[in-house]
Amino acid sequence: MLDLAIFGQHLLNGVLIGCAYALIAIGLTMIFGVMNIANFAHGEFYMMGGFAAFYLVTLLKLNYFIALPLAVVLVVVLAVAIQQIVFKRLRDAPVMTTTLVTIGLSILLEHVALLLWGPQPQVIPNPFPTRPLSFFGIYTTPLYLFSMAVTAALIVVGHLLIQRTRMGKAMRATFQNREAAALVGVRIDRVYLYAFTFGAALAAAAGAVLGGFIPVEPTMGGVATLKAFVVVILGGMGSFVGAIAGGLLLGLAEALGAGYFSTGWKDAIGFFAVILLLLFRPEGLFKRA
Amino acid sequence: MPDSKPHPIILGAVLAGLLIIPLVVRDEYYLHLFIVSAIFVVVALGLNLIVGYVGQLSLAHAAFFALGAYVSALLFFNLKWSMWIGMPAAAIVTAAVAFALGWVILRVRGHRFVIITVAFAEIMRLVATNWVDLTRGFMGLPGLQIPALYVPGIGAVDVSSKERFYYVVLAAALLSFYICYRLVRSSVGRAFVLVRENEVLAESLGISAFRTCMIAFVVGAALAGTAGALYGHYIGFVSPDLFNFSYITIMLIMVILGGKGTLIGPALGAVVFTFLPELLREASYYRMVIFASILVIATLFMPRGIIFPLVEHLVPRRWRKGHDRAA
Repeated sequence: MLDLAIFGQHLLNGVLIGCAYALIAIGLTMIFGVMNIANFAHGEFYMMGGFAAFYLVTLLKLNYFIALPLAVVLVVVLAVAIQQIVFKRLRDAPVMTTTLVTIGLSILLEHVALLLWGPQPQVIPNPFPTRPLSFFGIYTTPLYLFSMAVTAALIVVGHLLIQRTRMGKAMRATFQNREAAALVGVRIDRVYLYAFTFGAALAAAAGAVLGGFIPVEPTMGGVATLKAFVVVILGGMGSFVGAIAGGLLLGLAEALGAGYFSTGWKDAIGFFAVILLLLFRPEGLFKRA
Repeated sequence: MPDSKPHPIILGAVLAGLLIIPLVVRDEYYLHLFIVSAIFVVVALGLNLIVGYVGQLSLAHAAFFALGAYVSALLFFNLKWSMWIGMPAAAIVTAAVAFALGWVILRVRGHRFVIITVAFAEIMRLVATNWVDLTRGFMGLPGLQIPALYVPGIGAVDVSSKERFYYVVLAAALLSFYICYRLVRSSVGRAFVLVRENEVLAESLGISAFRTCMIAFVVGAALAGTAGALYGHYIGFVSPDLFNFSYITIMLIMVILGGKGTLIGPALGAVVFTFLPELLREASYYRMVIFASILVIATLFMPRGIIFPLVEHLVPRRWRKGHDRAA
């Protein structure tokens, strides 16, 4: 007999992790869609967001709610620098070049983090009471609820920015047809910069918010990149809505898979799905062919 | 055309130099580095066929290396089969797996190809970690040994000392080099380059890009599997750590900085980038920072790599070339 409370518990965990996956994957899918780059360094923004928040709270003793947005700002500054120094040169470069450069960048950032902050996992201290809350037999903590609200809100804000603003429109136009977009006056350079920075900001926010209960460590960026790739391919490369749906799907599948089958094998499902989808349905699960 | 036929005297001098290394280098530690270098020469030459010659970025190469190590280790562990059977078995199994994988993925190109190879490597890692009944998971397979070599007329020769095992891996490296040399100078090798440079043109000339890529992919994987078996038996221990992303990174650095699409470049790259990390051991975090920076900078600004252009620059032309066959 399926215990509804336990099922609900897995569902709740799945939605939270799924929102985080979506936040990280949105940037990856946008950089892919707009710049045609599979950015293997994308997860490092998630890692750096976590570390920035951790040190703002512990070292500078900043208020938690000020530290989170400030951490995102710091990562955005770095992302702009990386875009200007490295990614600008990757425009129209072959897949071999872009992939090798982003792999190199990923290892570079990971090891700079190891050098600066050491290998030990850190949990960001937060002001929330640790006493669990219970609804209908499902347990959660205030921090969990806060994280879920923030990630969900950021996804909605991101979606509105893409759908409603001029820059969002320019990004979508660039994704559909770069030459035509440039022809009608879209400044492609600027679209690249904004898409890259925006994606990095969302990933950094995920790192800062989740760092309260998922320990922050230098190697987490690489893992996040792989998960984000799975999400992006589930949702279709370049699709914003696909990344959200794919993130939730992967989060739920993992939570339920770990809950009812095996923690060790749950990751394999995602990678098998990636291979099959890339071979037979590269447009993703959700788009009507 | 890179890698012109070397002058016989140069070739002889290089071979003699390689042969006397254990007599000159008495330090066990440096000898160890030479052995690991030779193993990675085999790996880098294999990766170079795929990345350098047919121009497909495969991130599954380290997984083939680890698979080879596991195949040979499992045969030793469960059936007490020695490395002399384990090594060809590793080559055959990795070649078969590469053929099956290639059959489905060599039909796609670009990002899709790269990401599928990553997914494949991750699945292999998960299998090694989670199929505990077979692989013992994180505990790994310890106690691998280097068996005696039976030489006809002499009998069993113990090759387990570093001085003697060096010759085993040197033979493997030289043989791999020779195989790759013959391969890239054959019509298949010319097809490699044509497919890399212009796939549509190759197809229009009746060269199947799929078949050409498959040859590079399978031979490359078999070399990785062979090297994996040698490495496993030499280190004496096989674990899921072999699937770490750092392995594929260092292999790519060897090939890219060595000079992809040449033979001497990646071979020297394997030696240089086995020694360099060890010599920088004191600064263990710095060294990956340095290498990653070099990888980024070299990919952006030095598409021919560092080592091969350096060789071209330093070694006089008439030394490099015997009777030159312009291609």
